[in-house]
Amino acid sequence: MSRGRILTALLAAAAVVALGVTLASGVGQASGDPAPTAAGPLTQARTGAAPALTGTTLTGAPFDPAALRGKVVLVNVWASWCDPCRQELPVLAAAQRRWSDRGLKVVGIDIRDNAESARAVLADLGVRDLPSIADPQGTTAVAWGARGVPESFVVDRSGQVRWWAHGAVDAAWLEQRVGPLLSS
Amino acid sequence: MTGGAGNIVLGAGLVAAVATTLLWSRVALLGVPARLARAATWATLAMAAAASGLLEAALIGHDLSVRYVAENGGRDVPLYYTVTSLWAALDGSLLLWLLILSGCAVVLGSRRADPLRPYAMAVVGVVTVFFFALTYFAANPFTEVSPVPADGPGPNPLLREHPAMGVHPPLLYAGYIGMVVPFAYGVAALLAGRTDRLSVGLMRRWTLAAWALLTAGITMGAWWSYAVLGWGGYWAWDPVENASLLPWLTATALLHTLAARRRTGALQSWTVALACGSFLLVLIGTFLTRSGAVASVHAFTASPLGPMLLGFVLISVAVVLGLLVWRSDRPEPTRPAPLLARESVMTGNAVLMVAMAAIVLTGTLFPLLVQAVQGDTATVGPGYFNRSAVPVALLVLLLMGVAPLLRADRPADPRRLGLPAAAGLGAAGVVGLLSRPGVPPLAAFALGAYVLTGLLQAAVRQRPSLRRSGWLLAHAGIAVVAIGVAASSAYTVSTERQLTVGETVIASDVTARLVQVDRTARRGEMSSRVRLELGGGANGRSEPALRYYPARDLTVSVPAIRSRISGDVYTTVLATTPDGTEATVRLAVNPLVGLVWLGGALTALGAATAAIRLPSRRRARVPAPDAAEPVGAA
Amino acid sequence: MTARRLLTLAVLAVLLGAAGTAVWRSVGPRPETAHSIAEQLLCPTCQGESVAQSQSPMAAAMRDTIDQQLAAGRTPEQVRRFFLDRYGPGVLAEPSYHGLGLLLWLLPGLAVALVVGLVLRRRRRRSGDSLAEAPTEAPSARGRPARAWDAVAVAVIALVAAVAVASPHRGPDTQPAPAADRDTSLQALAQSLEDQGRYAEAAEVYRDVVTLRPDDRTRLKLAFALLRADRAREAATTAQQALHDSPGSTDALLILGLAQRASGSPAATATLRRFLKAAPKDPAAAEVRRLLGAT
Repeated sequence: MSRGRILTALLAAAAVVALGVTLASGVGQASGDPAPTAAGPLTQARTGAAPALTGTTLTGAPFDPAALRGKVVLVNVWASWCDPCRQELPVLAAAQRRWSDRGLKVVGIDIRDNAESARAVLADLGVRDLPSIADPQGTTAVAWGARGVPESFVVDRSGQVRWWAHGAVDAAWLEQRVGPLLSS
Repeated sequence: MTGGAGNIVLGAGLVAAVATTLLWSRVALLGVPARLARAATWATLAMAAAASGLLEAALIGHDLSVRYVAENGGRDVPLYYTVTSLWAALDGSLLLWLLILSGCAVVLGSRRADPLRPYAMAVVGVVTVFFFALTYFAANPFTEVSPVPADGPGPNPLLREHPAMGVHPPLLYAGYIGMVVPFAYGVAALLAGRTDRLSVGLMRRWTLAAWALLTAGITMGAWWSYAVLGWGGYWAWDPVENASLLPWLTATALLHTLAARRRTGALQSWTVALACGSFLLVLIGTFLTRSGAVASVHAFTASPLGPMLLGFVLISVAVVLGLLVWRSDRPEPTRPAPLLARESVMTGNAVLMVAMAAIVLTGTLFPLLVQAVQGDTATVGPGYFNRSAVPVALLVLLLMGVAPLLRADRPADPRRLGLPAAAGLGAAGVVGLLSRPGVPPLAAFALGAYVLTGLLQAAVRQRPSLRRSGWLLAHAGIAVVAIGVAASSAYTVSTERQLTVGETVIASDVTARLVQVDRTARRGEMSSRVRLELGGGANGRSEPALRYYPARDLTVSVPAIRSRISGDVYTTVLATTPDGTEATVRLAVNPLVGLVWLGGALTALGAATAAIRLPSRRRARVPAPDAAEPVGAA
Repeated sequence: MTARRLLTLAVLAVLLGAAGTAVWRSVGPRPETAHSIAEQLLCPTCQGESVAQSQSPMAAAMRDTIDQQLAAGRTPEQVRRFFLDRYGPGVLAEPSYHGLGLLLWLLPGLAVALVVGLVLRRRRRRSGDSLAEAPTEAPSARGRPARAWDAVAVAVIALVAAVAVASPHRGPDTQPAPAADRDTSLQALAQSLEDQGRYAEAAEVYRDVVTLRPDDRTRLKLAFALLRADRAREAATTAQQALHDSPGSTDALLILGLAQRASGSPAATATLRRFLKAAPKDPAAAEVRRLLGAT
């Protein structure tokens, strides 16, 4: 067997191995990643200044961002066409009632929605006290870096984004992420 | 009880396929008559047909104890889509695959024997065994479901929006599987260490037929994507689309190298490599799209097939590479060819095709590579392909324009290129002065005009034979596709707006006024149909819809397309409000997009014409008399 | 002859001039439109679709954002930066060509170099590694090797058949898990439709669930949705069915009674009385007593 052929054979073997490793990563990915939906919302710690919250609320009044100064703010991106949002909104409203004297503000961003149906949902769920900014085009949510609904951002008292959650949050999540910020 | 019968039939098919393989190897190695082997091949086909028939019967009879029917059948699905749901999901489409594969084996096995055939049949047998095993062990559609559900969800709604669904997958599968014959002959040539004219001719015709089917399948897929997916385009460099394009590219290269060596009956080792590569790319594509390895709009979901398919792909690649290396020391003197002679240009074309295939393969596998090396996710979007594959495609067009001039024995006369070149320059001038389409589309217009003029010139100068008109047509089809792609990518205009009833959206010369929003809920489906009144350059009604299928939690935006000579008016609805007063509508005007389908159809037709004409037996035996006859392949 | 040549040259010059101008006009960078920017961004919630293609609401919101920013006078580069800052490098459809991304250019280049190298080597050596046509001598080796071959073949076939028969998946397959998931999401959907007061649509969804997986609790929900959608007669039939399957269910009694009452059936009073007797402390009992009192 000539030297050239041995070299060619080695190169061919290397090519097969490279192809195998590349393709095999696809198999692993396919079987091992059915999206971790079961264990609550997908949560990430974030840093950086919070974008501005402006616009009109669902009731038609202009939203006053000054009211948020020095407060812990939970910004929730939602819409009336989103089912998990309906489970989440009462949890958020309860948190706001419970923690408002400790300085929590919950602000909704109602994206790509019709204000009327959004108001109807809030009334249905008995959470009309949740202020929401009407964002019919969804551009405010995009400015926050939202990827879908429901999604929540937690901003601390100094105006820094601390947490991001994709998916509906529950009371335990709020206790764990928002609680410490309120006491500091 | 269909389930039990199906299991038995599949098992019997597996055994029959193993027997077929062994019997054909016996013919190859021991030189015994092929009668028994042929009978076993027929038995395999019978089992594959019975399995498909049983599943089809279960689907039509709504036998929901069969898993595949429970997952893909539905009592409210129209008969046509019940029939086509045989290939609406993975397991059923494997049965169709088996049916076509064993059909190919029977056709190949019953033809007049050439010396390589027993080897080739054994290789086809191995592939059949693998796919039977895959169906039987990993994706058996006949497993029984124990509490029998009362009804199934029906096939994926995307697959029941368009009648093309009945034709597109079988065409594409037939094209894919047709590639098994050149593969088998390539491996056979390597195993036996020799080739002959008869085998090479056979290989060429099968490749041509498979290529025609693949072309038709890809075109129809693009059309389906355009008419059903509702995003307004037809090609997104999506992994599934790339998987169908890859074997097409290498098969094109194969056709050209085969045509170049048609008369000598000898195969260069890289022709063999291309023949094997095309089918290996089919397997890799099947792996990518059927195992859930890549994220794609139309990929099937994750399934246990992955490891088995991967193993088969790697073993096949290793075997082919090993054989190529083993046989790489058989020097054979060849005549040097002048630069503008047929063989050189054909080689150039093949190199470009391989380059394009390499680009597409790299781009498709890159996310997996990143995943393997860094553990990150990465995406390769159209940007990369437009930057890399499109220039190569333009070079291919440039070379294609030379094709009609080529002679086998002497260099082409470059003065004959005068008229086509003038037409190309003229087209570039006119288009570029009237609009600013950007350089790649401008080049595509110019090259399209240049190629078409050259082909027309060739057709007028010499009355073409059937085969020659086939390749003229196929080449013309490619040029037409190039023009259609360039026009639709450069001149498409779209606007998206939220409209209240009575409001109007404008795109290019067309206006659309929202007339009405209807919301209906039926069993298994909720839909919002939007009525738009078109005005300006188009008139009439347009009714796009938004359908929601609760059983699969899937929303489909069904576009409404009105084709005019100057281009399609393409409307989609993105959202509606519950009170039916508002809808978000996208209006697009896609000029000349029809040329893409037309060109694809012409190409497929041309290739089919060239493949249909079987050389008479006498002619095959007598050496071809006229070596000066121009190139004879698509 | 010269006149003809002159004419040819003139035509050529005109064509070249026109084409040159055309190319020159097109060479300049194309103005970036909102659509071309959207094509370079990936929709964060979809699988491999660009923002320009996707029909998801988030992608639509991103398209609107691009429009808004361009209208506000931001440059396309600034717009891309905006998305990059908020969504990370994963939002860009085109991969970065640094680091591993270089392979995107290197690998195809390597493949082409390999092929070209092979072709050129053959041209230079004027000899190729081709598989030549050879006379076909059929190997004829019958006798002992043939018999051994046959024996091995039969053994292989027997082995495959044995494996096929013994393979474990012959028993009934128990994996209706995805179906269950789908049912749950369907239930949630129906619930939300009901919450919005879209009872008829909710009923259709419940009906789908019931046909997929017959279950009395869902059947009752279907009956209740039908009742609220003013389709009392169907509601009564469904409730009757549920009651037939689980005779102890007081909910079934209640809904059946209400449905009968709404459809004017004379059996209503008796059914409702049966309900009161079976569940006198049910929260609905007071209301039922009021109804019965009124008739």
